[in-house]
Amino acid sequence: MGNPKFYDFCVHAVPDGENTIEQLTVLSRHLGYSGITLANHSDKLPQSRPELPSTNEFEVFRGIELVEENPSKLHGLIGKFRKLVDVLIVHGGSETINRAALENPRVDILNHPAFDKSSGLNQVLAKAAAENNVAIGLTLRPFLHSRGPRRIRLLSDLRANLDLARKYDVPLILSSDAVSCFDLRSPMEALALAEICGLDEHEALEAMTTVPERIISRNRPGPGYIREGIEVLEEGDFF
Amino acid sequence: MKRLLPSLRAKKRYLAFELISDGPVSRSDLVKEVMFSASSLLGDVTASECDIRVLGFEDSKGIIQCSHTKVKETRASLTTLTRINGKRATLHILGASGTVKRATEKFLQNHTVFELKSR
Repeated sequence: MGNPKFYDFCVHAVPDGENTIEQLTVLSRHLGYSGITLANHSDKLPQSRPELPSTNEFEVFRGIELVEENPSKLHGLIGKFRKLVDVLIVHGGSETINRAALENPRVDILNHPAFDKSSGLNQVLAKAAAENNVAIGLTLRPFLHSRGPRRIRLLSDLRANLDLARKYDVPLILSSDAVSCFDLRSPMEALALAEICGLDEHEALEAMTTVPERIISRNRPGPGYIREGIEVLEEGDFF
Repeated sequence: MKRLLPSLRAKKRYLAFELISDGPVSRSDLVKEVMFSASSLLGDVTASECDIRVLGFEDSKGIIQCSHTKVKETRASLTTLTRINGKRATLHILGASGTVKRATEKFLQNHTVFELKSR
């Protein structure tokens, strides 16, 4: 199998988080990641587009986490940002927003779908997510910072979503949702925590390696790409 | 008291770690926090099966002992450590080994602890 490449697809830098993107990059590289996505919340974007410190072995992807309460405005925001970013995340948290995000194939990830008294997903939404290939984001930060009753609630929501995702084959993605350097965890530790929380080994590994890679390859089409489903694989004189 | 025969002793794994923190941290505070996060994530019963013990801790590097069948549970509970004595901290596990000597040689000797540069 070789060494898989791990990605963390949701970190927040200044002004959304506490640390700069350079600090987050250095630390996540030290922890063993191959790439991270800078996904600041759309209501706390910096004035100018930040420079992303990318090198050969480590890549920083441009992303955004859209925060919006009105579904039609959300679709507008998706249209506005889709071309500018590699990874488009929607910050869920209400029935209408979850639904709008999962029914839009241009969205990559839906984060924190849970809202009061519900895990945020049901069979209808799970089917829509699988059809439109929208991944459900599992974020580590709430599991690290809460204790007792709140974490119990998070875990039971996670289990409910996991059952639905397994049944309808919805992609899952595991990210740190870090707002500070101290929220980052190394891939092995994230995997261990995910396995304790109910994912199996294979699912957890996929959620940090192949699912992120698929999202990137989908949003960065190769040179022969014409439109969805049509691609020139080999140039040649056929006639 | 006579020591148990080697074949009767419980098998262990030794996790080498570095602590990335917002300032110096004392050993007793670290031990307290490690035990607290283990018991809160796993519950007292499973945490006792893990047999977690902080062996050495110097210069933000150290070794934690656990049961050889519970490495995953131990790793997960160490992951949930976020603060030590009010200061933000992250415990980064460098690797696991079956002996203290090997863990020290392989992971700790030539390792420089990551330091967060201020802006």
